[in-house]
Formats: sequence, C-alpha cells, structure tokens
Amino acid sequence: MPFAQAIRGRRRSRGAKEARKPGHPPPEWYLNPGLHLAINCILMTVAELCLQVGAKEASQADVPTWLAWTGLRGFVSLWTIAGIVVYIVAFANWLYVLRWVPLSVAYPLTTVVQVLVAIAAWLFLGEHVPITRWIGILLISGGVLLSAKPAAQAEEKL
Amino acid sequence: MTILALILVVVSQIAQVGGQVMLKKGMVPAKSKRRKRVIALYLGAGVAFLTVWFLLWVGLHEKMELSYLFPFQGLSPLLLVVAAALLLKERTNWRTWAGIALISLGSVLVAITAAT
Repeated sequence: MPFAQAIRGRRRSRGAKEARKPGHPPPEWYLNPGLHLAINCILMTVAELCLQVGAKEASQADVPTWLAWTGLRGFVSLWTIAGIVVYIVAFANWLYVLRWVPLSVAYPLTTVVQVLVAIAAWLFLGEHVPITRWIGILLISGGVLLSAKPAAQAEEKL
Repeated sequence: MTILALILVVVSQIAQVGGQVMLKKGMVPAKSKRRKRVIALYLGAGVAFLTVWFLLWVGLHEKMELSYLFPFQGLSPLLLVVAAALLLKERTNWRTWAGIALISLGSVLVAITAAT
C-alpha cells in the first residue's frame, strides 16, 4: 500500500504542477479562484462592519469638532484598526483572484457585497432598512452589474 | 442628506477611483527611461488618493448608518465609465447608459431615506 500511495501521491503532485501552468488555476480546492472571490465578498462585508462599529465607537470619543469629519478620530477605536487589517487581507485576496479571473468577470460579481452589507447591517447592527433603501440598493446593484464590464475595461485603459 | 455629506461622499468616491487607477498605472508602467520615477510617482499618488478616500469614508461612517452609506460605493463604476468617456473620448453603449441610470436612480432612492 505505501508503494501505491507513493505513486498516487507522486502522480497527483505532477498533475498539480502541470495544472499550475499560466492560465490554469491550481487544482487544490482551497486555492480555487471562485472560492476566493466568495471569501473576498465576505471579507469586504466584515471590513465594513468593523469600520462602522469603530466609527460609532470613536464618535463618542472627545475630540475637537474639526477632527470629526476627517475620519482621523476613527483610529481611537480598535475596531477601525481591525477593519483596516481585514481590508488589507481582502486586497491581497483580491490580487490572488485577479491572477486567475479577468477583472471584467470578477468585478461584476463583487456587486453581491452591496446586498451582503445591507443584510449584515440589518442583522448585526440592528439597523432598520426602509423598503425605499432596499429598492435603491437593488437598483444600484443592477446598475453596477450592467456597467461593471465597461467600468473594468475603463480601469484597465485609464 | 446634507450638501456637505453629499460632497464628501462624492469626493471620497473620486479619491478611491483615482487611487485605484493610479495604483494600476504604477503596477503596469509604460516603458520609459525614467521608469523607476514614474512607478514611484504613480504608487505614491495612488496611496495618497486612497488615504484621502479612507479617512473620508471612516468619517462618514460616524455620521451615517452602514446600510445608508455603503450603497454609494456603487458610484465608483459610474465614475470610471464617465472618466473613460471624458478622458479617452470613448463611446459608451446602451448597456452602460442603462447601468448609469440605474445607479443614479438607486442612489437617489437611498439618499432620500433617513441617514440615521
């Protein structure tokens, strides 16, 4: 059995190496670009939640009013720092996704974050989301889906 | 939504889109003699733009509900398309226009709900 396993193992690793040719995503499930795109959407939602909690916490902090709009006050809260860390992880994750998936395909799919953030704000922050706002969010999502491809092309050309 | 908040939202989105485009240009620089300088300039500008975006964005979070503020991130593809149309003199197709119309209409709908 060890022998057969060794062969199977070697064969698999050779297969993995072949699949690592440019243009082919790695075969391991945890390196799947689609999975990482989904993780990216969740990370973006988590980052926004952290920022919101941090900003609300920091808004209680006593600083001069001219600082309030600059956002610098937000750094008083550890939640804001956590949000930044999650944003950076999401950015690295996004670069990995873009290695395998064209921007014009990946970008439209991140529209789902719009809906995820609204649901998360309602679930975890207890925000009351009026029906008008839901409709607005859905319209924006539809609009982003429609114009995401030209927008992605524009970003590459600009 | 107050005029000040509206301006800050739009400025933050312009800064974000500008920063992303700068970073992109820094990553894929045109071949020239002063290549290193060009890369450094673009990356520096990109980081500066994104810093402006982030600070404004955090500041806006203090004043508004998340489900109210976040939909305005949808303005970034709109800004990209408009920038491309203006700077590159590109013609946009009907899909893009429909998308822009939907994003604008949706933003207005979100904006008329109470912020907090």
